Amino acid sequence: MTPAILVLWFTLQTLSPEAVQHMQAGVAADKQRQFDVAITEFRRVTELEPAFADGFISLGQAYMEKHDFDSAIPSLKQALEINPDSTPAHQLLGYALLVQGYPAQAIPHLERAKEKSAVGIAQIQTGQLPEAVANLQAALAEHPNDPDILYYLGRASGLLSKQSIDTLLAAYPDSARAHEAMGENYFVLRNMPDAESEFREALRLRPDVPEVHLELGEVYAGAFQWAKAEEEFRAQAKLQPGNAEAAYRLGASLLEQGKVHEARAELVRADKLMPDMPETLYSLGKAASLDGDAAAAEKDWSKLLTIEKETPLAAQAHFGLANLYRKQGKTDAAKREMQAFQRLQSSSNPPQAPEKPAPPH
Amino acid sequence: MLSRLSAAAAILAAFAATATIGESLFEAKLPRGIDFILQNSPTPQKHLIETMPGGVALLDYNNDGLLDIFFVNGGRLTSPMPTPENFDRRNPRYWNRLYRQNKDGSFTDVTEQAGLSNAGDGNYGMGVAVGDYDNDGYPDIYITNYGKNILYHNNGDGTFTNVTTKAGVAAGGWSESAGFLDYDNDGKLDLFVTRYMEWDTKHSKDCGGNFHTYCPPEEFPATTSILYHNNGDGTFTDVSQRSGIAVKKGRALGVAFADYDGDGFTDIFVANDGMQQYLYHNNGDGTFTEVALEAGAALSEDGRRMSGMGVVFQDYDNDGRPDIVVTELPREIYSLYHNDGGGSFSYRSLQTGLGVLSSGTSGWSVGLEDFDNDGWKDLFVAQSHVLDNVESIDPSLHYLELPLLAMNRNNRFESADSGAATPLAARGAAFGDLNNDGWEDVLITCLGSHPQVLLNRGGKAHWLVISLRGTRSNRDGYGARVQVNGQTRYATSTVGYLSASDKRLHFGLGTTDKGKVEVVWPSGIHQTLNEVHADQFLEVREPEKQER
Repeated sequence: MTPAILVLWFTLQTLSPEAVQHMQAGVAADKQRQFDVAITEFRRVTELEPAFADGFISLGQAYMEKHDFDSAIPSLKQALEINPDSTPAHQLLGYALLVQGYPAQAIPHLERAKEKSAVGIAQIQTGQLPEAVANLQAALAEHPNDPDILYYLGRASGLLSKQSIDTLLAAYPDSARAHEAMGENYFVLRNMPDAESEFREALRLRPDVPEVHLELGEVYAGAFQWAKAEEEFRAQAKLQPGNAEAAYRLGASLLEQGKVHEARAELVRADKLMPDMPETLYSLGKAASLDGDAAAAEKDWSKLLTIEKETPLAAQAHFGLANLYRKQGKTDAAKREMQAFQRLQSSSNPPQAPEKPAPPH
Repeated sequence: MLSRLSAAAAILAAFAATATIGESLFEAKLPRGIDFILQNSPTPQKHLIETMPGGVALLDYNNDGLLDIFFVNGGRLTSPMPTPENFDRRNPRYWNRLYRQNKDGSFTDVTEQAGLSNAGDGNYGMGVAVGDYDNDGYPDIYITNYGKNILYHNNGDGTFTNVTTKAGVAAGGWSESAGFLDYDNDGKLDLFVTRYMEWDTKHSKDCGGNFHTYCPPEEFPATTSILYHNNGDGTFTDVSQRSGIAVKKGRALGVAFADYDGDGFTDIFVANDGMQQYLYHNNGDGTFTEVALEAGAALSEDGRRMSGMGVVFQDYDNDGRPDIVVTELPREIYSLYHNDGGGSFSYRSLQTGLGVLSSGTSGWSVGLEDFDNDGWKDLFVAQSHVLDNVESIDPSLHYLELPLLAMNRNNRFESADSGAATPLAARGAAFGDLNNDGWEDVLITCLGSHPQVLLNRGGKAHWLVISLRGTRSNRDGYGARVQVNGQTRYATSTVGYLSASDKRLHFGLGTTDKGKVEVVWPSGIHQTLNEVHADQFLEVREPEKQER
């Protein structure tokens, strides 16, 4: 018998037989999801035993299960009047208040119940964004990859970011940073002409502002203007010789233009600055292959495959190796790599269309 | 870094601009007498066929030495479509059109008198192939449709006869490109027909949610292409299964022919949409084996499937082996598969500069022709996005696009002004010397509008245009390998997407005023002509037997 059940058992010993009977009937009905019956039974318990906190908690919980949060709240508050330290009562009341749109009132109860994710969600609603991010990060550490927590953490972070940017735009609208922020907004909205002009203005105001060349380069890369992209990435690499992304981007833009030798040099530099990034390794292998250096390509792609095994990049590396071995006449190795490529490709591909046309929409 | 990398992967194009070099080689000019409008009949229902026509052919149907023009028209689409489907093809607005070239460079519409006005009410037109399938010296016309295809026999008196039923080449379903080839070297032209997918107007649907767009090919089942063997008696036999062509289903649009491995038999490359490309190796015994993946010509450099649309199979780098260029959608870059010999290809879009020129554009018909007569084949692509409302979905892309003219400079392609004044909804394109001045011209079809004729302004470089006259081989000489001063062309009229080019073989000779002509005929006969003068139209007749 667990301690909680022991406590409940001892508690029940203090109740009248009639109250115990209604309590047991309520629990049974609740188990069978007959919430209206359970509510009737638990309400009778609270009438027979008005100092029995668990009766009010059970009643509140039954209401919540019926999604009648408005009715649950008075019962749960009454439970806390009787027993201010009841964790279940704080937990349920916190959730009920949150669902009903009272995040500020919910937060103390949820904090008492140590419901970090719920506290974080409530804090998003009260605008306590840094606190929300902290609580959601802590909750995510306890429940890695929980989709709800991931969603709310992303939302809180985004709102926090927006809050900062809004403040920046309001306080310093003509600053380089404000133009950079506007450029980023336009970029997200795929409004590339305006993104370009905002980034350009940021650079005019402050030519050494970090990252803007990189962002402007991405605008041009997205518009397939590789020569201009190269120019911006090169400027960023000059400003920040230790910036691995600038080196990678510069290398990639050179590769797109078929400037294979130069691309390799920059990609090697990117790999030194931030070793073993899969994207860099793949591009390095590709550049080496295009440059006719099969040994280097094999080395880079093989290294990538020690890091990534089931991803699209891994599939691409297998495909590259298959072609490389095919050209070298290594038939078995080529076949093996092609099979690995096809296996990964088939596992990531959506199913084919049905054999017969589907009925019209 | 990772977040930035992944974010960048989703970045879309804004305004793909390419630098141009020099003044245009071409003058956009619609010759007098050509009033054709390609009626694709776009509807709110977004029937997929609407965005896919229209083929064009350059042929000398009356053997007067002047190139004539045949246009394939779409048809009328209504909502709902009647049962049986009727595309109103008896209405002159929806006729295919044959224009005869007059001596003054103008054209006369001879569609009705040639007997080509009835394209079948149940047929929505797509592409055209040209070949002298009965070796009578007059080019015949094969038209692909959504519906039943049509073979018109050229009677040699300016008229054509629909011989589809007798020939047994109606196919059915949704045919796209087609081409005549002699796959078994028996001296009679066979016929290859690509088919796109299992689709019909009753099972049409639109995609893109509120944007209402044409659906991607994956929404419909794949289907088989067709190979017809010419029996030599005016009939054909469907050998798709027996030959191995139908072993694999595809979503085939473009087709091109060449002997890529030098074994004397014509191979077939099929451009598939949204899946791997197919390279059918001719085994020389009437069967084919699909080898694109093993040969390195199936996917992109990164192993990605592509939206293959048009294709050309010619030697761009003068190494004597035919290479492959496939046109695709934005963000895929047009694929250039370099023929390395030994049956193997390398992906060379980036090294040749083609990647930079094509990453934001959508390509349809494509040709490798020496437009400036410098001895190197240049690239021309008819461009336009497949979705007519693409700007509302992605402002960085454009439905109307300028054609791509890319000059071959030491095996690197550089953008040049195509001469087209405005962006087009281009689809088909055929190449040939319309005015017999020794300089290659371009004819482009455009959805919903007049075609574009790009007349080459010419220049001082020398040239040679060769007509093949097969005797033991098929009369058109299709499948012959012709080399002039180190340049190679594979004789075919099938080109790009839905189209057929001038069957004459054009060579730019640069500053050289003489040429050495070497022909390897499909019969296996080798023929060499030395000290051939430049700047002439030369007919090369196949010897009856191998010369010593």
